[in-house]
Amino acid sequence: MKTPIVAFALSIIISLSARAELKWEQTTVELHPTAADKQAVGHFKYQNPGKTPVHFKSVHASCGCTTAQTQKDEVPPGGTGEITATFNIGDRTGTQVKTVTVETDEATNQKTVLTLRTIIPEQLEINPRLVFWKQGDKPDPKAITVKVGKDFTVKHIKVTSSSPDFQTKVEEKGNGEFKIDVQPQETKNVIASTLTIQPEDSQKVFYATARITNSPVVQ
Amino acid sequence: MRSSLVRQVLILLALALAPGVGEAVYFRHRISWQSAVLPSELVTVDQARTWGGNVIWVDARPDEEFASDHVPGALSLNEDRWNELLPQFLAVWSPGTKVVVYCSSLSCNTSREVARRLRREAQLPDVFVLEGGWEAWLKKNR
Repeated sequence: MKTPIVAFALSIIISLSARAELKWEQTTVELHPTAADKQAVGHFKYQNPGKTPVHFKSVHASCGCTTAQTQKDEVPPGGTGEITATFNIGDRTGTQVKTVTVETDEATNQKTVLTLRTIIPEQLEINPRLVFWKQGDKPDPKAITVKVGKDFTVKHIKVTSSSPDFQTKVEEKGNGEFKIDVQPQETKNVIASTLTIQPEDSQKVFYATARITNSPVVQ
Repeated sequence: MRSSLVRQVLILLALALAPGVGEAVYFRHRISWQSAVLPSELVTVDQARTWGGNVIWVDARPDEEFASDHVPGALSLNEDRWNELLPQFLAVWSPGTKVVVYCSSLSCNTSREVARRLRREAQLPDVFVLEGGWEAWLKKNR
């Protein structure tokens, strides 16, 4: 009774080993760029263990922020190579998962999805990025909290307002946390100010916005 | 005979299940658990139209795609230049205004990510993702 099972299993194993398909070293790459990095580059290495060449039909990334390149269009039997995926970090933060779909002329498994997982450190977490008062509101101060990312050390931050109509006061709360109190002089006029937040000893600049707004539109 | 058949079926099922279990255990920290956009966060072109002028359209696509064409009156807000573009957007936003974010296709997460950041970082309510993205808008308007 066990013979059919063994035969079935063997036929599966034989058919798997006989087919021509790329063998990927890994289909998921995790990257940890530094805060200064503009790009994160992942290398997906492959090998053709089959007896026939494999051709790439298409290689495309899931989003415009990622590009992918092959070294060659054809992978001969026994040949190796890699696909390079370049992720433009921009102002992204946190964990970014982008994929690259590779299409080949393999008999089976024609599409392979390569995953680029990039963990981008966040130097400052600013919350909220907007404080506003409606016209006529009492001009009480509102708070913006700034938390320093765990991989960074920031002892002081400097905050400047683009408009003299808003005053700011920074309070160091300890444990890498700051509180910015923002207060308008008055709330009669519709005005806006960009608050520039600069960590000490850092080139990177962050922004928040303070505004006096119109009354809400009622629909 | 019957119990033998059942046993074989069970063995085959176990064999089929083994690689799946192995992968789930081995890659348990590498699985992308990104959830789909909640239905309440999605808006169709027709729904957004009914909001009239009480909408800010946000184009989450890269600069060059925005420069090429965009929804009339839309503001560019992408993650390539988030720190620079966000204050420009926040200078225009008003309380009570709905925000509709779009990117280039359903497979792109950009609009969802921009919408999420607007809710989390700027604490804006009423931020929606356009169902079908730029292509859906084009289909209805061109």
